[in-house]
This record gives sequence, C-alpha cells and structure tokens, in this order.
Amino acid sequence: MSTREAAGVVAAPATDPPAPPRPVTRRRRRLRTRLARDWPLLAMTAPAAALLLVFHYLPTLGNVIAFQDYNPFLGDGPLDAFLGSEWIGFGNFEALFTDPLFWDAVRNTLTITAFQLVFFFPLPILLAILLNSVVSGRVRAFVQSVVYLPHFFSWVLVVTFFVQMLGGAGLLAQELRDAGMQPWNIMTNPDTFIVLVTGEAVWKDLGWGAIVFLAALAAIDPNLYEAAAADGAGRWRRLWHITLPGLRPVIVLLLIMRLGDALSVGFEQFILQRDAVGRDAAEVLDTFVYYQAIVTQQWGLGAAAGLFKAMVGLALILTANHVAHRLGEQGVYSRS
Amino acid sequence: MKPSLPGVSTDRRSVLRLIGLGTAATLGGGTLAACSKEAGSKGTATKADAIRSVLPTYKPAELLKPDIPGEGPIPDGYLAYPRQLVDAVTEQPGRGGPAIRTMSPWWGPTPPTLGKNSYLAAVNAKLGVDVDPSLQDGTTYADKLNAMLGARDVPDLLSIPNWEVDKIARFSDAAKALFEDLTDHLKGDAAATYPYLASLPTGAWEYSVWGGRLAAVPFPTDGPFGWALFHRKDLLDKAGLAAPTSPEELHELGRKLTDPAKGVWAFGTVFDMVQQFFGCQQIWRKKPGGGLEHKYENPAFAAALEFTAKLFADGLVHPDTVSSKGADEKQLFKSGKIVMYQDGLGAWQGMQSEQTKVLPSFNMQPLPVFGANGGKPLIWGSEKPIFFTFVKKGLGKDRVGELLRVLNWCAAPFGSREFELREYGVEGKHFTRSADGSPALTELGRREMGAQYTHIGGRVPVKVRSADTPNYVQEYLGYYNKNIGLMEKDLFAGIKLELPANWSKLLQPTEDKLRDILRGRRPLSDLEAVKKEFFATGGEEGRAFHEKALADNGR
Repeated sequence: MSTREAAGVVAAPATDPPAPPRPVTRRRRRLRTRLARDWPLLAMTAPAAALLLVFHYLPTLGNVIAFQDYNPFLGDGPLDAFLGSEWIGFGNFEALFTDPLFWDAVRNTLTITAFQLVFFFPLPILLAILLNSVVSGRVRAFVQSVVYLPHFFSWVLVVTFFVQMLGGAGLLAQELRDAGMQPWNIMTNPDTFIVLVTGEAVWKDLGWGAIVFLAALAAIDPNLYEAAAADGAGRWRRLWHITLPGLRPVIVLLLIMRLGDALSVGFEQFILQRDAVGRDAAEVLDTFVYYQAIVTQQWGLGAAAGLFKAMVGLALILTANHVAHRLGEQGVYSRS
Repeated sequence: MKPSLPGVSTDRRSVLRLIGLGTAATLGGGTLAACSKEAGSKGTATKADAIRSVLPTYKPAELLKPDIPGEGPIPDGYLAYPRQLVDAVTEQPGRGGPAIRTMSPWWGPTPPTLGKNSYLAAVNAKLGVDVDPSLQDGTTYADKLNAMLGARDVPDLLSIPNWEVDKIARFSDAAKALFEDLTDHLKGDAAATYPYLASLPTGAWEYSVWGGRLAAVPFPTDGPFGWALFHRKDLLDKAGLAAPTSPEELHELGRKLTDPAKGVWAFGTVFDMVQQFFGCQQIWRKKPGGGLEHKYENPAFAAALEFTAKLFADGLVHPDTVSSKGADEKQLFKSGKIVMYQDGLGAWQGMQSEQTKVLPSFNMQPLPVFGANGGKPLIWGSEKPIFFTFVKKGLGKDRVGELLRVLNWCAAPFGSREFELREYGVEGKHFTRSADGSPALTELGRREMGAQYTHIGGRVPVKVRSADTPNYVQEYLGYYNKNIGLMEKDLFAGIKLELPANWSKLLQPTEDKLRDILRGRRPLSDLEAVKKEFFATGGEEGRAFHEKALADNGR
C-alpha cells in the first residue's frame, strides 16, 4: 500500500503554469511555483523520507564489508574501520558458498517457505471470508480480537506456551499419562518440526494476516452480490465469481511480497527450538548467520549472507511481479 | 496482456548477472579464488613474561583473620559476622562527575533502575557520584555485547565474563580501540593509590592483560571449579536413597527418582559433569609422546557421551531440558521437578538462602564426585577471573581516576562498612541483623541488589556464614578442600590466547552434532565421523595453534 501512496505523491503535479518568455527563468519559476503549491505535501513526506534515508539507505552503504575482512576495531572510529579493513574481493562469498552448512540452511529455509506458502498463506483468506459472513457484529468483533491477540505475543512466549501445553511435561502429556497412555512426541520430533513451526505460526499470526483481506472484502460492492443472487447464483458461485476475484489483487500483492521474503522465515522461533530438534531440522538462514557470523564476529561473512538474501529476494519479487503482469494483475508496482 | 520481456530494464539484467555470479561461485567453487582472500583472524598468543612486567604490586588488605583460611584459589571462610565494622575508604571516591554508566551480567530478575532503587541511591550517596547500572541477562550476554563492541559504543564501565571474552575474535584490537589502557594507573607501585585493587590476587591480574598492556580490573573467582552437580539432598534423604559412587549407581538412582506421573524427572543438564566423572579433560591434554590430545580423541569422552545419551534415551531427563533452549532448570530444581542438575558453585548460597524461606527442609548439595571404571574423576577449573571490568577509552585522566576510585570502593574487603553496604544494603531496609549479628536480606534487598556494584569491583572473595545458611561456609570450603587435588591443571595458565577464527567457527556446528548424538537423533557410531570432520575443518589448525603457544612458552 505504501508503494501506491508514494506513487501518488510523485505523480501529484497536474497543470503547468502559463509559459513565460525565457526558458532558464521559466524552469526556475516553474520549480518555485510548484514548491509554493506543493510544499505542504513535501513537508508531510519529509520525515518519512528522512527516516528512510537515515535508517535504510545510509546503513546500506555498510554492505561494503561483505567484500572486506572487516575489523570493527581499526582506527579511531567506525568510519576508519570501514576504510581501513582489508579488501578481500569475493572471499566472504566464497567461504559462504563453499560451506555445506550454508546450503543446508538455505534448503531448510526454502522448504519451510514452500510448506508455509501452501499450508499457511491461504488460511487468513479463509478466515477473512468466514468472518465476513458472520452477520452479528458483536460476535465478529469478539472473534477478531481473540484471533488477533497472539500476534502481539513474543516468540519466547509462544514457544513456552506450546512447550507447556504440548511438551513432554506439558498439559497434554500429563493428561495422557493420567489416562494410562504414552504421550506423543510433539515438541522434539525433527521429522514433524516443519508442521510444528507452521502450527505455531498459524496460531500466532492467522488473525493478524486476515486484517488486510477483511479490508479488501469490505471494499467489494454489495450490489454485485445482490445482482448475482437475483440472477440465481448460489453461495459457492458468489464466492467463486465475486468474492475471490475481488480479493485477487490483494492476494497477488501479498504473495509477491511473501516471495520476496522467501529466505526469511523468522529467527527467534527457530533459535529457541533448535536444541530440541537439532540443527538438521531447525537451521535456517538467519540462525546460520547468527552462529557463523555474529557469534564468531565474522561481520563480513554475515553481510555477504545478508546481501545474498537481498539479491535472491529482489530477483524473486521482480520475477513474480513480472509473472503477475503477464497474467493481467497489477502486482506490487508497474512501470508507467 | 502485453509481452514485456524485451522491455526489461538494464537494472534487472545486471541483477540477474550478479545472481549468475553467485551461482558460478557455487558451482565453480574455486573460480573466485583468484580475486579473493580468506577472511578471519589467525589467532594470537601473548607470552607469559610479557604479561608479568605490567602487573600491580600485590599488597594484601585483610581486616579480619579468617576462621578457615583458604589456600591458593580457595577463598577464606568466616564463621561469624564481625560486631565491629571499620571504615575502609576514608576519602569519598566521587568528585561529582557525570553519572557512571555500567553494564554487567546478572542471572535473575532485573532490579529497578536508578531513581527507582533505594539501594542504588544509598550506595551512590556514599560514593559521591551516581552509578547508573544496566544489568543484562547473563545467559544471553553475548548478544548485547557483540552488538555493542561492533558498534564501538561502550559504557563507562563494562564487565565481561571470561567465557565471553574468549569467544570474541580480535579482542586485543577491541581492547586497544575501545578501552582505556590502565597500565600507567595500576602498574607496579602505582597501584598503591587504589589499595583494594592492589589487594586482588596477582593470579587474577595476570589474565587482565591484552596486547601486553593492563586493560581491565579482574573479578577473581571465589573457587576455581567450573561446575558442580547439585542435587536435592532433602529429597534423596526422604526417599532413603544414598549418593551414588559410580556412573552405574547414578543411572540407577536416576531411574528410582524419575516419576513422570508426578512430573518429576531425575536430571536436568548434566553432560559437563558426566565428562568430569569419566575423567575427560576440558579441552586439551598433553599426550605422553608430546603434542596435544583434544578431548574428542579421549575414549573417556565417548564413554561420557554414551552414558548421557542413555539418560536421554531412558527418559530420565526433564522434557523441558529436552525441548527448549532456555529451560529454567533453577526453577525446576527449586520446585523439585528435577532432582539433579549442573550449575556453577556460585548458585549455591543464594538459592539455599532463598528457598529456606519457602521450604525449611530445602537442602541442595553438590553431589560428591566419583570416578568411572575404577578411574579418578578430573575436575575442570581455572583460576581465571570470572569477570573483567573495562574502562571506556578517552574519558580523560581525572575521570579514569574517579572510576578507579569507585572500583576501589567496590573492592573493599570483608569487615568494612563499605563491604556491608555493597553486599547487603542498608540495615533495616535491605537487610535485618540476625541474633548472631549476620545480615539477612529482606525482600526489598533481594529485589534491588543484583550484584550491581559487586560484579564490577573485583573484591577479594570470602565466604561468610549467614543465619539462613548456617552450614554453607563449611560445606563450600569442605567440597573444595576435598576435591582440589582432582582439579585439572590449566596448561595455558598465564598465556593470553586469542583463538583462530576457523577454530571458533567450528565449535557451534560440532556441538550441534554432538547434541544430536546425545538426544538420540544420530547413532553413537557417528562420533567417529564428527571427529574426523572436526579435525579436518579447523580442529588440526586449532591443535597446531595451541601446541605452538605451549612451545613458545617453553612448556
């Protein structure tokens, strides 16, 4: 959505003032009149632009350490450290790409992303449609608040909660033991770990993910439903021919954004449960970077991994966006 | 729909080219080698003689004769609290400088901050300058520390545990860039200006040198053992069970104690202690024919691994220890949900005194150590200081003097009013005096203290009898005196090691694999493969590095 707003600001100027005689002054005056006219808009954008500049674009320059044997303690200040560290070309990338542990982590990350794309991504849509069909405003508000709530819990809390409920000494296990049964191994089984983390993610973020879809549903013209009903369309036909097409731009938009994030599946959730199921199941790209780059202070290696992640994300977004255009969707953005 | 492929911008094409580059690097392996170098430090070792020349002159400052004198690294014990206290510091340390920001580790709930904490207010009034501490969770201290060092943004006084220092690559560079060189302030007789810093043992100062310069004030260990296996003696006595004398008996005991229906499991984390029972070294030991042997090569390690894996397989370890990283074993131990777990000996007195109030019969004791298969146990330990306190660089001579005077105040010895205020707070508020004169902390005291001054100020360690832990001093010193002969000799004592990056990088993946074996996710027979991989990918480099450090020091 922010992309569209930004586009709106850029596209603001509409009418040109009448053409003055000389070109140089004309341009200057045009700029001045435009400033005079648009300054409130510019003033409103300035803080956001400044934030973006200071906290996104400026730190981006730090990516140079991906090509350095970066030593943060050189010289008198951080700038000296950037300038003084030895340039080693693609040494960090080479170390990264030749490390089998790195590819294990990438594979795990992509598997989890793919799994969640199939088993998590559609659920908020279903929930939103379900909620939308609840007539009573009170019931809907209540259900919404309940399913939003877990989003605000930290992962530590969520994992603890799952351990207390489903762990070996948790509620379920004790109930099963009391009933004379063997408790299931839910929290420490590497083979089903992917289901567990997806389950946790669904519990935490299902309601939150539904918000955008609910907003999109509210924007669908009710007349369409009435007209379709009058023509004899049943519940399923209305869903198929009105609701889903109405949601499609939002679904595609979120899908593309999710693809761009394909190499991030979260960090805390995995680091917390890593010992329980082992590295083979729980090592994702972010935990790999943490253990191999942050803990051992190989900042250059960490930056290289981050850069790799960003590049892959960018490529995926561009590709997905392109595919969306070809399918006649608006996508995340389009070139004018 | 319009075909848009031909219209792709050059930007996108260059992105794809870059990605192609990455793929090429992956597939080709060495294709980029021509234009790239390997990153990471190769490690350094500072010689022992270079260190000795910058140390402060040792001058003991004992106010009271100990009842049980400690020997070597074992602290002195006092069985009675003195009725008469003395003023150890006559001159107010603070000269009204700005608030002193500190950061130190703490394993417990965070106390209220400056302005909301009456203990801080009381001590700061005495110091004549505000100390504004930031306490960080000790188990995740590295997270905060790494970011702080990487950003070169450190507080005025920074306390770093020795095990964290060991993990930081290029620490000498960090010390030089970020921390004040204290050599001129404390070297030789100059230390006399700060008499209580000069009373810290020389063995502790030896470790405080980086790059040949004195860079930190040490917090000497109050006992060199790394771990003890604590058990709930009250629960064992109630069940009529005796302490084990062999690994087999330990396993049998675990079987008897575990009762999932009641939510009780015998063990929390125990692997480090089990290795010691089996007589395995902590990391390196000398081979009879010369050279060093890593513990993975010692059959005792394999035996310890097999034994502990069996504890997991037999379901004798609490599921919370199995299933999450930050299982609160202290809490489980207090509530009797686990009966044995390993912890530092520093956990003993605090927990015992706290739990006595909840359950009068609560009795935690270190399990008497025993060997396996007729062999002797080997206890891991070192005289390394527990923490180092660093002073921020570039504060100016006067300010450094003020900070050192504050540290000197914090190091005031047992028997002084300063010691009492630091350890127990204000009488009637943070502690009450028992009939025998010893202070007992109140609820407010427990909540507000958090060792905020103690952890930064060195102090000569002592063990003092308190009314709520009447037997602790004898038990603590007794455990040490009985077992000190079993302690492993530190081959690298007095040599400052900064380990090669390839070595540090290797530790976590290897521990992950060993954990897989422990938890039964891999068969025990995988140990051979893990070992092979370990030595091939940096283990041998580490061995050569350590062997060279020993050879350079003529050991």
